[in-house]
Amino acid sequence: MTLNRLPDPGKRLSIRDLSKLYNEFVALDHINLDIEQGEKIVVLGPSGSGKSTFIRCLNRIEPHNSGVLMIDGKIIDQKTDLTELRGRVGMVFQNYNLFPHLTVLENCAVAPRLVRSIPRGQAEDTARRILAQVGIAEQASKYPIQLSGGQQQRVAIARALCMDPEIILFDEPTAALDPEAISGVVLIINDLAAQGITTVCVTHEMGFARRIADRIVFMDKGRVQEITPPEEFFTAPRSARARAFLNEMIRF
Amino acid sequence: MRRTGLLGVLIAGLVTMLATISARAEAPPSFAANGTLTACTNPTLPPMTFVNGAEASALAGFDIDLVREIAGVWNLRPDIVQMDFEGMFPSLSAGRCGMVISGVMRQATRERNFDAIPYYESAMVVIARTGTPKISSFSELSGQTVAIETGTSYGRLIEIENAALAARGKPPIRVQLYPSEDQVIQQVLLGRAHAAMSQDVEVLYRRRQLGGKVTTIFKPDIPDFHDFAIYIRKDSVDKARLEQAVDELRRRGTLTALAHKWNIDDTLEEAAPTRGAPSRFDVQTFLSALVSRAFFKGASMTLIMALLSHVTAIAISIPIALALNGRRSLIQPVLSAYVAVFRGAPTLLQLLFIWNALPQFLPIFRESWFTPFLAAWISLSINESAYQVEINRAALRAVDRGQSLAAEALGMKKSHVYWHIVFPQALRIALPPTINDFISLLKTTSLASVISLQELLAVTQIQVARTFQFTEYYSAALVWYLGIVFFFLYVQKRIERRFTWADRDKAAAHDA
Repeated sequence: MTLNRLPDPGKRLSIRDLSKLYNEFVALDHINLDIEQGEKIVVLGPSGSGKSTFIRCLNRIEPHNSGVLMIDGKIIDQKTDLTELRGRVGMVFQNYNLFPHLTVLENCAVAPRLVRSIPRGQAEDTARRILAQVGIAEQASKYPIQLSGGQQQRVAIARALCMDPEIILFDEPTAALDPEAISGVVLIINDLAAQGITTVCVTHEMGFARRIADRIVFMDKGRVQEITPPEEFFTAPRSARARAFLNEMIRF
Repeated sequence: MRRTGLLGVLIAGLVTMLATISARAEAPPSFAANGTLTACTNPTLPPMTFVNGAEASALAGFDIDLVREIAGVWNLRPDIVQMDFEGMFPSLSAGRCGMVISGVMRQATRERNFDAIPYYESAMVVIARTGTPKISSFSELSGQTVAIETGTSYGRLIEIENAALAARGKPPIRVQLYPSEDQVIQQVLLGRAHAAMSQDVEVLYRRRQLGGKVTTIFKPDIPDFHDFAIYIRKDSVDKARLEQAVDELRRRGTLTALAHKWNIDDTLEEAAPTRGAPSRFDVQTFLSALVSRAFFKGASMTLIMALLSHVTAIAISIPIALALNGRRSLIQPVLSAYVAVFRGAPTLLQLLFIWNALPQFLPIFRESWFTPFLAAWISLSINESAYQVEINRAALRAVDRGQSLAAEALGMKKSHVYWHIVFPQALRIALPPTINDFISLLKTTSLASVISLQELLAVTQIQVARTFQFTEYYSAALVWYLGIVFFFLYVQKRIERRFTWADRDKAAAHDA
């Protein structure tokens, strides 16, 4: 796939030569990628390939060092208002990072209240609606510690959705889930795409990647090795590295 | 011409009148400021200076009356400040006291640094329990234990004697030091010390109080223990003026009257009435002490001081803990040094330093606004903050980094992240050690009695010195301390109930 040298303001996300350094170590090396509205992107790659760093650059939890990151035609750099950016780009963490001292409902309502100054009643009404949408309305008054892994995952997604984002980043969403719960996450992500929300998802789970991805971004050593639709990636990967990676995955 | 002459005569007459008036009123000394004569005393030496009654402020005794008389001579308002014996001379140097009058002997070594003005003759005595055989020299105490008050000069006397004993190959006199005269006598009563050293006036008073349980076994003639003296900072003019005032009182017969009032003119000590020995534990005394205003005030002071200091300490410690946990910066070594110094130095030393040493460097701390309360508050807050920094650091670190990351990913400001996400979780971890520290601090406040803060233990000791019923008063203090501590343990339990979120079973129970 060939991309224009300049970022495309018509795309939801347009990334050009994005690089990230940790002192001498090059974590991300000239990443180029365009993502459409409502698209489901899965980032695959071996450990240390830079895929988590990549999605953390998208909401500037890790600021990039060079290159261009553009969201809806706006360049994201040190001048960007982080509150606004993070309202548009939500994130679901690998171990969810729910706030243990708040109930499920409060976990969902706390950020809209503090960041957007939405009154408590209104924020909680929205939270209840979204909790119902992800299928855990009845858990609203519980504390995170009382929930199963799958339920916690749904709270984490609901918490991100309460900020009404355009993009949601998932860091290993299936790492701690049983197969049944994984199916639940697939349904939710498809539902998000149907609402026009773009998802970028880092995972190790090949089956999961194959079921949800519109496109697979394969990374190794901080570089994008190939960007392909899932059927093609899993049957006929273009890059030698991807082939080696898939062989490794099959062996275990 | 005539008119001017008349005016001249009038002015001359006025000047003469004024001169006569000022000559009649004695000139006050330089240490009397704003019409006030400040005298420091340690009220644990009856009948010279002690607390007479249940109120800690009810000072009485020969010395107290004398201060009032001297102030009267100069038309000054007497202001009597009570403090620990050891605190008095540093306070005199620091300018916090105009004079020290506390049953202190006139001694050559003390006169090197201060001026002493003798006001009453006395004699040193060695006392022991009634029935102990009399002795004729200190060497007969060889191998025995003798109790003496800390800060008094009896210790040096024994050192000299011990050197002589050692030269003759004899065992030394063992010395036990106690912070107040009443505790010294307690040791004799308990049999822990064979004898104690004191002044004859004290023993007269104690004999009446103890119903003849102690007796004088030796009355050495030592020049350093002949006169009670008032001490002032070195100033020959002030010394002369004070001597003049004391002479004036002697001439008027005031000193004799005071001696009679306090029963120290009567040297026929053996004739003192004997009273039945006090019972082992007087429930009546215990109960009335427990509910007395003095104990209530002492306990309130303890509680207020501990609460105020701890709240201040927490306020100081949170920013320090955040800075120490945060990115490397130049301020970190400074803060680490702060924690190390104030955690390392004994609390008692910090109190003494702030109260006595600070005014030496900064005269502003000599002024009356710098009260013992303020000094104790500052010292204890700084001291406690050093400990609290470590608690807060550990608690903040124990909150998973993912928590603030998740909050930031939701667009929260740093202050929101701390107040709504990190602090509530850190509080759960910090609460038990913080309450622990608070309980410890509550008891540490008792150290502030050295800088004359009238907290619970100071009040107790004053009562014990007055009555000698130590078991009863110690018990009452114990009940107060335990009552306060148990209350805060209950508060801790109540707060911990709000942390059910951290425990799956309890959270479920809370839910049901």
